[in-house]
Amino acid sequence: MANTVVKTILDVIRVWAENLARHWGIPPVFVSILAWIAAFVFVIVLVLLMVLLAVYLERKVSGYIQSRLGPMRVGPIGLFQTPMDALKILTKEDIVPRDADKIMHTIGPVFFFVVAVAGYVVIPWDRGAIAARVVDLNIGVLLVMALSSLGLLGIMVGGWGSNNKWSLLGAMRAVAQMISYEVALLLAIVCVVMQAGSLSLAAITADQGGSLLQWNILRWWMWPALLLYVIASAAESKRIPFDIPEAESELVSGYHTEYSGMKFGFFFLGEYAHLFVIALIGTILFLGGWQSPLPGSIADFVPGFIWLMAKALAIIIITMWVRWTLPRLRVDQLMQFAWKGLVPLGFVAILVTGLAVALGLGGGGI
Amino acid sequence: MSETTVAGLTTEEMIVNVGPQHPSTHGVLRFVVTLDGERVNECVSHIGYLHSSLEKIAETLRYEQYITNTDRFDYLNGLGNELCYVQAVEKLLGIEPPLRTRFIRTVMAELKRISSHLVYLGCYGNDIGAVTIFLHAFRERELLMDIFEAVTGGRLLYNYLRIGGLRNDLPTGFGDQVHRFLDHFPRRLTEMTDLLTENRIFIGRTRGVGMLTAEQALSYGVTGPSLRGCGVPYDLRKLRPYAAYDQVEFDIPTFPEGDCLSRHLVRMEEMRQSLRIVRQLLDKMPDGEIQAEVPRRLRPEAGEVYERVESPRGELGCYLVSDGSDKPYRMHWRGPSFYNLQVLPEMVRGGLVADFIATLGSLDPVAPDIDR
Amino acid sequence: MWGYVRDIWQGAKSIVVGHIVTFRNFWRPKITDRYPHSDAGKNWRPGPGYRGGFALLKSDEEDRELRCTACMSCARACPVGCIHIEGEGKGKERHPVSFYIDMGLCVYCHQCVEACPKDALTMTDEYEISGTSRAVLVRNLEELVAAGEGRTEVSRVV
Ligand code: SF4
Ligand code: SF4
Repeated sequence: MANTVVKTILDVIRVWAENLARHWGIPPVFVSILAWIAAFVFVIVLVLLMVLLAVYLERKVSGYIQSRLGPMRVGPIGLFQTPMDALKILTKEDIVPRDADKIMHTIGPVFFFVVAVAGYVVIPWDRGAIAARVVDLNIGVLLVMALSSLGLLGIMVGGWGSNNKWSLLGAMRAVAQMISYEVALLLAIVCVVMQAGSLSLAAITADQGGSLLQWNILRWWMWPALLLYVIASAAESKRIPFDIPEAESELVSGYHTEYSGMKFGFFFLGEYAHLFVIALIGTILFLGGWQSPLPGSIADFVPGFIWLMAKALAIIIITMWVRWTLPRLRVDQLMQFAWKGLVPLGFVAILVTGLAVALGLGGGGI
Repeated sequence: MSETTVAGLTTEEMIVNVGPQHPSTHGVLRFVVTLDGERVNECVSHIGYLHSSLEKIAETLRYEQYITNTDRFDYLNGLGNELCYVQAVEKLLGIEPPLRTRFIRTVMAELKRISSHLVYLGCYGNDIGAVTIFLHAFRERELLMDIFEAVTGGRLLYNYLRIGGLRNDLPTGFGDQVHRFLDHFPRRLTEMTDLLTENRIFIGRTRGVGMLTAEQALSYGVTGPSLRGCGVPYDLRKLRPYAAYDQVEFDIPTFPEGDCLSRHLVRMEEMRQSLRIVRQLLDKMPDGEIQAEVPRRLRPEAGEVYERVESPRGELGCYLVSDGSDKPYRMHWRGPSFYNLQVLPEMVRGGLVADFIATLGSLDPVAPDIDR
Repeated sequence: MWGYVRDIWQGAKSIVVGHIVTFRNFWRPKITDRYPHSDAGKNWRPGPGYRGGFALLKSDEEDRELRCTACMSCARACPVGCIHIEGEGKGKERHPVSFYIDMGLCVYCHQCVEACPKDALTMTDEYEISGTSRAVLVRNLEELVAAGEGRTEVSRVV
């Protein structure tokens, strides 16, 4: 209901803008270009806000787990700490090592950030309104996964361009880790795709419509895939226990050892943006996307994108809890775990899902 | 640069500096590590960044003036170092401290051992990547710091022991404060064990890593938990009881494997044993004088003395030469961290970078104790 | 096979136990304090044996202002030699005319206080001693006397 309200409001705004454009004599092509830009700005702003929130939450959660208060000084309960830090990072001196490859050193973080943010274009935020998504690709999942492996290139370029041995080691580790876990992650996604019968994220969301019981997390035959996704996505986001590319106590700071100022900021923000994408995808794949848990009830009055973000935030908080609890794996253990543990589990998950779909339990089927 | 071949692939060796500015070097240490990919081929330690001439300074200070300097080299074991030095001077002078003094010194040394092991626990967790345990361990250590502050007036640098006695007697309420800690701490220790020691990832990271055989350890002069982690029950508190260690019952935990995990387990168990020692000492604490008769001017007869105690890191020795004046003629410290560190290259060769960090942390070195 | 399954089971269990520990800690009261903004931070005083700043104490006798007789015992006891005193007068009249303690050199060992035969010098519970230059860390006679205002006891653990 509220979704329709939002949709109507957005439609009214769009119609108004179009009329205005016509009135001023601006050709419709520009209007659609402007609409794209507006949508992209919307996404970027949303991403940055979410990233700031996620960083703040991370500090608070880690503080609370460690008997500390976390940020408290700037603003009420330290709320403005992360915006201030972002400002600080913007104004800091950008130091480039003398022997670094200047171009590579610059391209790395920018590329990483852009790719991380680009993933947001296919996220269905809400029921088909203009803000729902920038583009509705019928291969949405694939695009997100492809982009997240592209981000690797940014890490590799940055790590190599820094001309620092620690950076290089970190970048190499990152590549090895991401390639291994991408396989597991894709296997988990294949299960969901089999269930929904489509690669489009909107269709996957729609497959879980109806009620809470339709969410993939509550369908028992999806549980192996869920487990797989949880572990592999933690590894994708490079957080403890899978943070070996950074591994502060081993590699100083891994691939961003030599970065400072805004370039470091790009890596930092990109990482959280990526984390948020992964949480969003996780929400869409397993938690019913933007749908409220009890359709037809009062919960419907909350707009869909709020549900989506709330669910994603819950996932993020859980990953923080994990991060501040577990030690770090070693690089060889990590690879062993991926190839000997997760990939076989992935095949089991596909088998289980396939059987369930074949027996008619699931929805679509391929 | 030499080249090695792994399964038909030619790889180049890479030389990296671990330290002096590296997050896990426990102070300022530097290792030049030769890496083949992730594998450590060679490791050379470069020490001396924190050398502060503490042995030479002793020659310029009177015996009683030097006590405050002993807190400063192995700063995690201040009271234990003071104990070593004070006992050395007492031996030189032929003074016997009163019984109560010996009890109090032992209590403080054992509490200090717990606090040192807590620092180890926190830092080791940090090395392995478990960040939370660091603050949990330091939170408990804070309670000990409060006890030290109440007794000595200082939190880290105490200057509490005196030749033949103590600076002051225990403050009122000391027994209650320590008993509160003794009751509270075992629960938290169990919790920290659940969080780190029992964790499968932690065990995977430490079991079979940084292997040290008993022969190697003995031939390099490794002592303390690192030696007991190889199954050698060598503990000066039992072998030649000093202070009040002959008055209490305790066990020397040993684990035979000689890997990082067994060194870790030794320290965890030692904390429990220390609690036991403190509890017994508090129950038996005698009344009486705390200061023995000491001449106003300390002029030991010419001679030399070597005194050793069991510090949390191993055998801490103090060698003093007197020429009959009121200042030592020569002094030398046997810092356990220095000797323990020598065996590191043997232990890390062939391991991964991550193992190198894990092994270094498991030796629990304190950088000023290496350099002095 | 059985061992393999048990291994996985124990691993999973240990990880869950770890999470329970952190979850419990999340709700515990926090031990850090918002010094210097919180009340507890502002009003906190260290214990009586604390070794912070320095002060010279006033005499109980009528004709003397300070207890100090410029006997130099403290300066001699100091392991770093950061006390500089000049005295004037003979016998009972003797008193310090200049008294410097360089707190930048001081190692806060308390030996000077213990060496003083007149209980004239004490360390205080002042703990915010940091300064912006070395010069402000050198305390002179006036500052030391001012710090001793209202104090009668020498710092010691009770
Ligand atoms: S506290 Fe120690 S170092 Fe400081 S002035 Fe007194 S004797 Fe000297
Ligand atoms: S403070 Fe005490 S020891 Fe120092 S000169 Fe004065 S009387 Fe002597």
